[in-house]
Amino acid sequence: MNLLLRVVSLIALLSGPLMAEPLHYDLDPTRSRVGFVATFGSDRITGTIPIATAEVQLDFDRAASSFVRVVLDATGARASFPFATQAMTGPKVLAVSQFPTLTFESRSLAVGTTSATLTGDLTIRGVTRPVMLEAQVFRQRGTQAGDRSRMSVRLNGTVRRSEFGATGWADMVGDVVELDILVRIDQIRG
Amino acid sequence: MAAYNNDAGFGWVTRGLHWLMALALIAMLVFGTYLAGMEPALDRLWMYGAHKTVGFTLLVLSMLRIGWHAWSPPPGPIPDLAVWQLRLSRAVQRSFYALMLALPLSGWVASSATGIDTVLFNRWVLPPIAPVSEQWESVGFIVHGALGKLLALLVIVHVVGAFWHRNGTLRRMLFGHRKL
Ligand code: HEM
Repeated sequence: MNLLLRVVSLIALLSGPLMAEPLHYDLDPTRSRVGFVATFGSDRITGTIPIATAEVQLDFDRAASSFVRVVLDATGARASFPFATQAMTGPKVLAVSQFPTLTFESRSLAVGTTSATLTGDLTIRGVTRPVMLEAQVFRQRGTQAGDRSRMSVRLNGTVRRSEFGATGWADMVGDVVELDILVRIDQIRG
Repeated sequence: MAAYNNDAGFGWVTRGLHWLMALALIAMLVFGTYLAGMEPALDRLWMYGAHKTVGFTLLVLSMLRIGWHAWSPPPGPIPDLAVWQLRLSRAVQRSFYALMLALPLSGWVASSATGIDTVLFNRWVLPPIAPVSEQWESVGFIVHGALGKLLALLVIVHVVGAFWHRNGTLRRMLFGHRKL
């Protein structure tokens, strides 16, 4: 190997952390969970919505060039009891026969010391509204400190369903829906 | 004790249906009004199922009752009443039959329109008889509530009439015949 090539590869190796590329991740839907909670009188309805597709790109040095886009399969949404599932997927709430997906697309990521704030556009029933999610990032079990190849991210936030026109059963089910999302992401190595 | 009705009185089938349905209908009026006003909770969801189950059973009983009366006609009114009394009692009784069909049907229509399964006896899903639509749902429940109030009003008129007649009308529905 000639000298020039050695030098170039050495520079590339050293400068790696300084000019890091955004990392691309695969979201593992089977080990991820989009959960929600809404009030039902004095009780709570909980449930989950399956993730259809996800694009995750994180830039740990320049948060602004991070990007997340998640599509949820509204037709697979399930609540903690069967009547609630039917009510939720029906025309007065998610209207899944007309709007089979929910989408989230990030706009900005603000990174703090222990957590991050992810803001973006959430589309429900074809209506797009801004939403803010608090994110906590964890290493997955069995990974080393500083290993960013496999991570768990927990996202919490709330939406007002009335803002999306999902107003069904407003006399029984609360307007504020809490989101509790846990995603497991694995870096895609090119 | 005769099962069939005849010119002199009511058989036990008619009397049984009358008192069973009377009790159940009045209970359903109270229960339905409670349902519509109660604070929802998970441990109260069964009440909707119970209301629908009893209501649908009453729909079936109403059809059986109408069929039975076509097969075994009940005696006509005891003829010692004023014309207006005869007319009123006939109108009230006809309205009962119409309401015994229309009231549960309107509940079924409105429930169908919500898009949520109508489950009877905790296991059988009644097929929907209306499109899933907010309009059908709200009109359906308005009609259901209004027919319920009308039925309550008619029950009062009917009960007052039954005691008012004092000519054996109440006795023959209780015991089959006017005289003991
Ligand atoms: C003869 C039978 C029935 C009677 C006497 C009856 C009576 C009533 C009454 C009085 C109410 C209160 C309405 C209001 O004040 O708004 C009610 C509510 C209700 N009924 Fe019925 N009903 C009958 C059958 C049915 C059936 C067959 C169904 C469904 C399959 C049904 C479904 C409902 C529901 C879901 C409510 C609650 C509405 C709400 O939450 O606002 N009913 N019923």
